[in-house]
Amino acid sequence: MTQSTGIDRSAIRRGITDALPLYVPAVPFALVIGLAIVEAGLDPLAGWSGSWLIFGGAAQLTLVTLLGSGAAVIAAITAALVVNARHLMYSAALAPTFQSQPTWFRWVGPYVLIDQMFALASIEAQGSDPVTFRSYYLAAGATFWTLWQLTTALGIVIGPAVPEEWNLEFAVPLLFIGLIVIGIDRWTKVVAALVGAGVTYMAAGMPNRTGLLVGALAGILVGTIAERFGR
Amino acid sequence: MTTFIASLIVGLGTYVSRAVFILALAKRRIPDPVMVSLQFVAPAVLAALVISVLTNDDGTVAIGIPELAAFIAGGATVYKTRNHILTLVVGMTVFWALRALL
Repeated sequence: MTQSTGIDRSAIRRGITDALPLYVPAVPFALVIGLAIVEAGLDPLAGWSGSWLIFGGAAQLTLVTLLGSGAAVIAAITAALVVNARHLMYSAALAPTFQSQPTWFRWVGPYVLIDQMFALASIEAQGSDPVTFRSYYLAAGATFWTLWQLTTALGIVIGPAVPEEWNLEFAVPLLFIGLIVIGIDRWTKVVAALVGAGVTYMAAGMPNRTGLLVGALAGILVGTIAERFGR
Repeated sequence: MTTFIASLIVGLGTYVSRAVFILALAKRRIPDPVMVSLQFVAPAVLAALVISVLTNDDGTVAIGIPELAAFIAGGATVYKTRNHILTLVVGMTVFWALRALL
């Protein structure tokens, strides 16, 4: 029974209060993206447009840093898309839950399906009715979305005030290291990361930073092989 | 303009990857081997990016002792605390300190 109308006010409140603490770790990330847009010398407004066009931090950061470092545009786009390919997993995992939702929500919902949303939604999907799930999902998604637009814009505004000798652009690879470590739940992911870094290092001389794609593919491949044969 | 168009393309691609199963293929499952590979996308790409953003235009990679030490200190901090803010503080402090000393 698809109920296409109706809201659950308590679910909306829960959505907002669950999203707020989860957003805290994303604040430095958003600020670094703002700084990276400024450092890359990109048009601030065009750089910030990625915040709502993409609404995904790792891909946006990948895109702006690579565009700013003189990579081929195609290589930058490809790298950003590869970064976001993990969302296929989220889409597949939540598809059964969305089956009982109206069409408009099945179009809107995926737009805000960021890592944190997936974490919240997969918990909420267990045992809540469609109206409650939808209210919760939209409230949490809108909270993340609004904060993201504001904090990335803030990073762009304060970016020019940061002295160049602080070398704050080093915060970008540092954040990537943080994301890698947080995502590691078994040794095969360590292998994938090491191979990804090692091959990119060896391929660093390739034109337009395309070595990054070679390294990433090698990491994915070796990680998959290790998973298959390493048990 | 290039930046906006590039963001638009990445945005569309990202939306498709988030929506494809929810909108169109709800009855289909991702084949298991693909599912396994997808889990390695994030660590492999992010690690490749770490190297790529530290690569100079002449193809040399600018990773010295300050960078390596900052990665180790930052990695250990995030492993212990899961806190990105603290990780940035610790990592940048180690980076600045070693760069000033060496």
